[in-house]
Order: sequence, then structure tokens, then C-alpha cells
Amino acid sequence: MDLAIQRDSPLMRLVLDPVNILLMILLGILFYLVLWPFLELVLHTITWGEGDRRLSRDAVPGEYTWFHWLQVTASPLSERMLYAPLVNTLITGVISTVIALIVGGGLAWCVIRSDMPGKGWLQPVLTLPYIVPSFAIALAWETVFRSPKVGGQPGLYETVLGIPPPEWVSYGTFPISITLAMHYFPFAYLLVAGALATIDSQMEEGALLSGASRMMILRRITFPVVAPAFAAAFVLTFGKTIGQFALPFLLGAPTQFHTIATMVYANLALGLDSMAYVLAILLILMSLLAIWASNKFVGNNARRFETISGKGFRSRQVALGGWRWPIFWSVATFGFVVGILPLILLGYQSLMLIDGFFNLSNLTMHFWTGQSDPEIAMGEPGVLHNANILGAAWNTIELAFFSAVIASLIGLVIAYIVVRKEGNPLAKMLDQIAFIPFLFPSIAFGAMYLTMFAEPRGPIPALYGTFTLLILISVVNRLPYSVKTGVTAVTQIGRELEEAAEVAGASWGRRFRKIIVPLASSGVVTGMMVSFVGVMRELSLIILLITPSTRVLMTVGFNYAEEGLTQLSNALVLIVAMITIAGELILWWAGKSRLVRLREKQS
Amino acid sequence: MASIEIENLTKRYGATTALDNVSLKIESGEFLVLLGPSGCGKTTLLRCLAGLETPDEGEIYMDGELVFSSKLNRIVPPGKRNLGMVFQSYALWPHMTVRNNVKFGLDVLNLSESDSKDRLDQVLKDLGMGDLQNRYPSELSGGQQQRVALARLLATKPPVFLMDEPLSNLDARLRMDMRVELKKFQASTGSTTVYVTHDQTEAMTMSTRVVVMRDGLIQQVSPPSQLYKRPENTFVADFIGMPRINLIKANRSNGKNRLYSNGDIDIDIGWDEAPSSIVVGARPEDLKISKEKLKGSQAYEVSSVLPNGPETIIQLTRGGTILLARIGHEVDLHEGEKVTVQFDQKALNVYDAKSGALLGPPIDTNGTN
Repeated sequence: MDLAIQRDSPLMRLVLDPVNILLMILLGILFYLVLWPFLELVLHTITWGEGDRRLSRDAVPGEYTWFHWLQVTASPLSERMLYAPLVNTLITGVISTVIALIVGGGLAWCVIRSDMPGKGWLQPVLTLPYIVPSFAIALAWETVFRSPKVGGQPGLYETVLGIPPPEWVSYGTFPISITLAMHYFPFAYLLVAGALATIDSQMEEGALLSGASRMMILRRITFPVVAPAFAAAFVLTFGKTIGQFALPFLLGAPTQFHTIATMVYANLALGLDSMAYVLAILLILMSLLAIWASNKFVGNNARRFETISGKGFRSRQVALGGWRWPIFWSVATFGFVVGILPLILLGYQSLMLIDGFFNLSNLTMHFWTGQSDPEIAMGEPGVLHNANILGAAWNTIELAFFSAVIASLIGLVIAYIVVRKEGNPLAKMLDQIAFIPFLFPSIAFGAMYLTMFAEPRGPIPALYGTFTLLILISVVNRLPYSVKTGVTAVTQIGRELEEAAEVAGASWGRRFRKIIVPLASSGVVTGMMVSFVGVMRELSLIILLITPSTRVLMTVGFNYAEEGLTQLSNALVLIVAMITIAGELILWWAGKSRLVRLREKQS
Repeated sequence: MASIEIENLTKRYGATTALDNVSLKIESGEFLVLLGPSGCGKTTLLRCLAGLETPDEGEIYMDGELVFSSKLNRIVPPGKRNLGMVFQSYALWPHMTVRNNVKFGLDVLNLSESDSKDRLDQVLKDLGMGDLQNRYPSELSGGQQQRVALARLLATKPPVFLMDEPLSNLDARLRMDMRVELKKFQASTGSTTVYVTHDQTEAMTMSTRVVVMRDGLIQQVSPPSQLYKRPENTFVADFIGMPRINLIKANRSNGKNRLYSNGDIDIDIGWDEAPSSIVVGARPEDLKISKEKLKGSQAYEVSSVLPNGPETIIQLTRGGTILLARIGHEVDLHEGEKVTVQFDQKALNVYDAKSGALLGPPIDTNGTN
């Protein structure tokens, strides 16, 4: 009996299992990158900071205090800092979500359950507004409804009609709610369409046979079945709207209309860090409350975000009869107005030498291809010549690429552990922690990382201002999605495939490389593309963490918009929109070709 | 070639015990079948041998070497146990060609390129897969996939084969052909084979010995013919054989040692000293049906005639008792007809009614059939 056998205790074996080692490492990393920053954020708000000396005489840096919380919630400032923005956030959030649900739900029914013509190409057009960056729609809105009351040139509305638009159309609740709804209705559409596609039409046929009318079927059968999906879509859409920063900022800030998200940014810009963080925490609490409510009232539907896959079973379509073409034309017009028109407007405006002067002689390629001219746009050269922008473009691609690849690989490893170690409480915990970033409104998440990495901590240097930090936050932000994609992929790989390799003597690393990765690759690569496009159009998440050397296209575009260089901003946003659309087209094409291949195999 | 010894193996999943103190010795070169209803622990036992499950207690020796011991905390990982396994789904890697599927095991062994190539070519040729080696698993028929799984098993020349219901995914006709092929295959390699199935025909036709399991316990270990003729308890008797054995619960008739009755029918078991309460096991073919009234036989009614190719199953009733009999294909019986039935006394097995265990003097185990 050799000694090696004796030392081989069950505990050691458990500890030395490579999967367990990975599990522990990932738990540690995620704890540090997800939970710890939240604690950091909370701690920051109840501690006096150096900068607080100028706010209060009692400030003793490092001591605990409720000062910031009291300032935000119960001081003369509260009305402007918290309550008015809170009301604005709730109102715009609820209005935009309700519109998005009605529009998205109606469209979903038309596309999935009716015999409306032209579905094939209407569907991608209808999802366009969600693919392009949200503030592209805000910029387009401004192009039309800009009010000279707040300064600057008149918009298209005034030029054509001769009178300026009422201010409530230009800025504030109305435009923010409408543009948010325009951006998010495809999200609601996808969620409801997924639910509608899973309805077995036999349920409806059963009602039809018992003599029910079409309206009655819709009311008594169809709607109750998709109601949970509707409720989940409501909560998820609402949760997304309250975290939106750029869009309410562009259409609200000129008239001092603030939401909580824009207030976080405004406070940080004023150096009131702790106040901003209190607001960020409140934003997170709102999001948590919404998700909690959805879980409470509709079960765990909220977890089925993004990928609700319909089974390909027979689904009888409702004949629209005489309404067929009128409905088609309404939907097509709507799709054009919300999906394509904003992009055309942006493109047109980026060609105007003097903003707001709608005349053919005013058209120029200067903002695209022109050299620096001190007379125009403070000497900024056209976007295609601008070293500033080319650097940002390179940064954007690098950021999106590395974030997508890293998020997908880590997501796959986490998914593997979650699937294969089902029942292990630590693996379950890993799954849950990886999901938590989904609950953080993106601007609040950015604030968390700002507090966390502003100063060096132990072995970790101050990452603020580095590209690494941007990748880090983008990766963590994408994790809920990439884990989900990974779980779907790994679940489809039979356990026996791996055991066969284990019996053949392959180590865990070899099995993961040679069996799991190749078999999961098609799903994971698709997820990678989705992440690539998603990171590319992200602004709210990283706006607080950007420094001049780490700028990306979206933040440069946002800065131009802030400075009133509308044409440059529009040109940039248009470039990002084109890239994301191209990415989406590749995905769509890849998905289609996979379907074709599947069909070939089946026949 | 290797023998396998399993000593006092126990495996629990939470509150359920999948293997309950199982001990078994498997001879070198044997074709041993683990048979039982689903959930009996047969697959768990196989996976413990493979090293894919870790038992809670006990020891496993392979070829004299200790590969698992709960006391010594010794667990040899699956890849180091020198065995090959065929999975129920075959577990062919769908992203590799046939050739690469077979080659994987050789790559792990770090063989030289030429050795590996020679062995690969030989194995593929032996199994008739030479022409298909560049295909992907999804492009093969079920039988061909089965053969790739065998090629993968053979490539590394393991002394032990483990097979987990390898034929259950094939259609009935192909399964028949593959039974013959697998039996030849095992005989030619001489590897010790442990084979899991719930199909008793498979167990009976292929094995040298059968292990019947139930609820994590071994019920009987016997060569197939013995298993059929002399099941050691009522569970095995009932589980083996199609149609099922007639199990008749009976009590000793007053004052008559050999004569038992369940109220409807009387059976003479042919020997003394059995307990007062027993279960008589009579295979359907051990019932002799006659239209004439014979001495010492009782009258039954034919309640059903079920022809099935070469044989016919007859359902007989007397009072509340129903018996099944198997006779040849030439039948001249009709429903409702009255017949007499005689039991083949030498073939009867007698079980204790309480414990279900086999009783009594050995009944002609060297019989003719």
C-alpha cells in the first residue's frame, strides 16, 4: 500500500477537480466584479468624502454619515434632485412601456397569427429601431422638432410650417416617452411574438368548435395565455427605460427636464459624486422592485428574456379578409416612419452645411469627408478624416470584439458548470450572480465601477481611464445573456459524449476543448455576434467611465451632440447604426442558412 | 484479459440506495449481462465499474489491481482503468468524422503517428467501415453508427468492454443481426464484457452468465439456461420468460403432504417437507393440455386462444384462477371448450410463500430441455 493512496483524501479530490477549481475562481471573480461594487457604492454614499468639505462643515473624510441620503431625500434640494426626476422617470417609463406593449403586442399578433402579407421583410424593418443606438432616434426627433426657444437653429417642423413647435413637443415628457417607446417596442414585440408562437392553435380551434366568436376567442383564450408574457414584457421594458440615459438627456436637459438617470450624470458632472451614487442606488432599487413584482405576479417568466424560442408546430392563421391590405399598409408605413425615416433624417442633416437650413444649396459632404476648416464646426474635420474619430472607431471595434469574445467564453464555462453541476449549491449561486448585472440599470452599473476602480485597491490598480475597465464592465454586463446562450448550447450536448471521452482517458481540459467547444460553437458564435452589436451601441453603461484616450464612437457622438455639433454627431451615430445593422443582417443570414441546412438534412 | 471483482459495493443517491452491498466476481473473458427492470441499479453498477460514478462504499478490483476503494480513498479515473465503453446513444462525436471518432482514443494514448495509422486502418477494415471513414455520424445508418461505436471501443484494445444497452436504439430486425455480430465480436477479442440490458432475450442469447438485479440487490447469478429453468426466487421467476410463468399461491391440503390447493386447483408437487404455504412456479410449456379426461387431472375452460407463429398461447380458467399454457402451432382448441390439464411435476419450482425463496430438493437440473 503506497503512501500516495493514503494522501488521496476525498476532500483533496474534490478540491483538485478542475471544474471545482474553476467554479471557485469564477465565484471569486464574479463576487468581486458584481456584488462588491454594489457594496462599494452603498459604502461610498454613507461615508464622508474629501470633496464633501465644500458641502458641509461637519465633513470628516472617512467617517460614516447619513448626510448624502438626507440631502437627496429630505432637503431643500430634494424636490429638484430626487422627487421631480423620480416622477419624470416613472411617468415616461410607464407611458413609453404601455405604448411599446400595445404597439409591439399588436404587431406581434399581426405577424405571428394573421395572414398579413409581406411578413418576411416587415419583420426586420420592425426590429430596426431597437438595433440602432437609442439616441439616434432622439437626434432624429430633434432634427424635426428642435425649438429655437432653447437656442440653435430651427428644425424641419418650423422650416416647413413656418411656426415653431410647441415646447412640450420638443422637450420633456412627451418626446421622451414617444422616442423611448419607438426604441423599445421591438423588444416588447419579440417577447410577445415568442409567446404567441408557442400557442397551440388547437386551443383556439377547440373554442371555435364550441361556437365561440373570434373576439371571444381572443379575449378568453389567446390573451390569458400570453398575459404572463405581457406582464414580463412590461416589467423588462420598464426596467430598461428607467436606465436609459442618452435619450432623456438629449430631449430633456435643454429645458431642465431630468430623470433619475440623467440626474446621476448631472450630479457627477457637478462633482457631487455621493449624491449621484444615492440616485444610482435608488435606480437599482426600482429595477429590483420591478423584477421582484414580476416574479411575484407572473412566476419566473422574467428569466426567459431575449430567447423565447417558438416550437415549429402548426399554428393556424387568422384570415383578415378585407382588412388584409389596409392593415399591411398601416404596418408598412409605421415601419418606415419608425425604422427608416429617422436614419434618412440623420443622413440628410449630416449633409447640411448650416444646420436647420433646408435648402439644396446648403448640402455639403464636409462633415463626412471635409478637411479641418476653422469656419465650420470649430475646425473639426469630417468624420472620415478625423483622427479623433478614427481612433474612436478603432477603440469601438476593439472594445466590442474583446468584450464579445471574453463574455461568450466565460459565459460558456459558467454555463458548463451550471449544467453539469446541477444540484450543486455553489454552481447555482454562480448562475444567480452571473444574472445579477441584468438587474442593474446601465448608468448605475457604470457608477458602481466608477467608485470601485477610481483608486487602487490592494493588488488591483486604479483602472479608471483604462481600456481594460471598459472591457471589464462590458463583459460583466453581457454575462447574463452569454450564460443564457451557453446554457442552451451545453444542454444540447449529451452527457454521454463527454463520458465517452472520459473513458478514453481525455483530461477535462481536452474534453472541453475537443468536445464541448466545437459542439457549442455555433450557438456561442451567434451569441458573440449579438454581444458585439450590443456592446457597440452601448452608451449609458460606459459614459461615466470614458476618458479622452478611451473614447468610442458612441461617446464621441454624444459629446458632439452635447456641444451642438449636430451634423458630426449624426454622422457618427449613423455609422454605428450601419455597423449594427450590418451585424444584425449577418446574424439573420447565418440563422437563415442554418435553417436551410437543417431542412436539407431532414428531407 | 482481465477479471473483475466487486466487493460490498454501495451507492446512494440521497435517500434511495441504487446499489446495496453488491458483491460479484467476473471471470476473465466472460460475457456477463446485468439484467433487471429500470431503476434496479444495473446501469449504476456499470458506471461504477467505468469510474463515471463514485460508489459510497466497497472495493473494485480489475485484473487484480485495486481501482476503487472507499476505505483507502482510492479512485482510479475512468481513463486509467483500461476499459472501453459503448453507450446507449453510442455517444459518437457529431463534429468528427468516423475516422477521427476512432482516432480520439489513440490520440489520448500519444501513440506514434504510424502506429496509430496502422491500428486505425486495421480496426476500420475489420468492422467494414473503411469506405465510410470520412463520413460524419449523422450520415450513417443506426447499424453503421453502432459499428463505429464498436470500432472506437476496439481501437485502444482494452481488456474490459462495458456496454450500456447498446442495441436498444435499433429496430427489431437489426437488433437480431447485431446480437449475432456482437457475440462473435466478443468471442474473437476475448475481452471480459459487462453488458447492461433490460431485454431478457438479449441477456439469454448472448451471455455466459446473467446477473438479475432488483432495487440495488443481486437476485440471482446463473448461466442463462439455469436462470430459466430454476429461478431462485419468485421475482426472477416472474421477470424471466415470455409469456410469464404461472405462479400459483397454494396451501397444503389437509393431511396430504404433497398435495397443495388454492381452492380452485390442486397440485401435486411430488415431494415432502415443504412448508404449509407455498408458491408453485409452472412455465406455460410445462402444462399439458388434453381433451380427454385423464386420471388425477382437473377440468379447465379454454377462455382464450392466442396464436403466435410457431406457438400458441392458451388461457385457461378454473374458478377464479387463470393459467397460461404454451403449445405447438397446430391447435384444435376453441374458446369455451372444456379440457384437462396436467403439470409436469419434474419442471415445477416451489417457493416459500413468505420469503419468495426457492425451496425443496433439486429438481432434475440436468434435464433434457
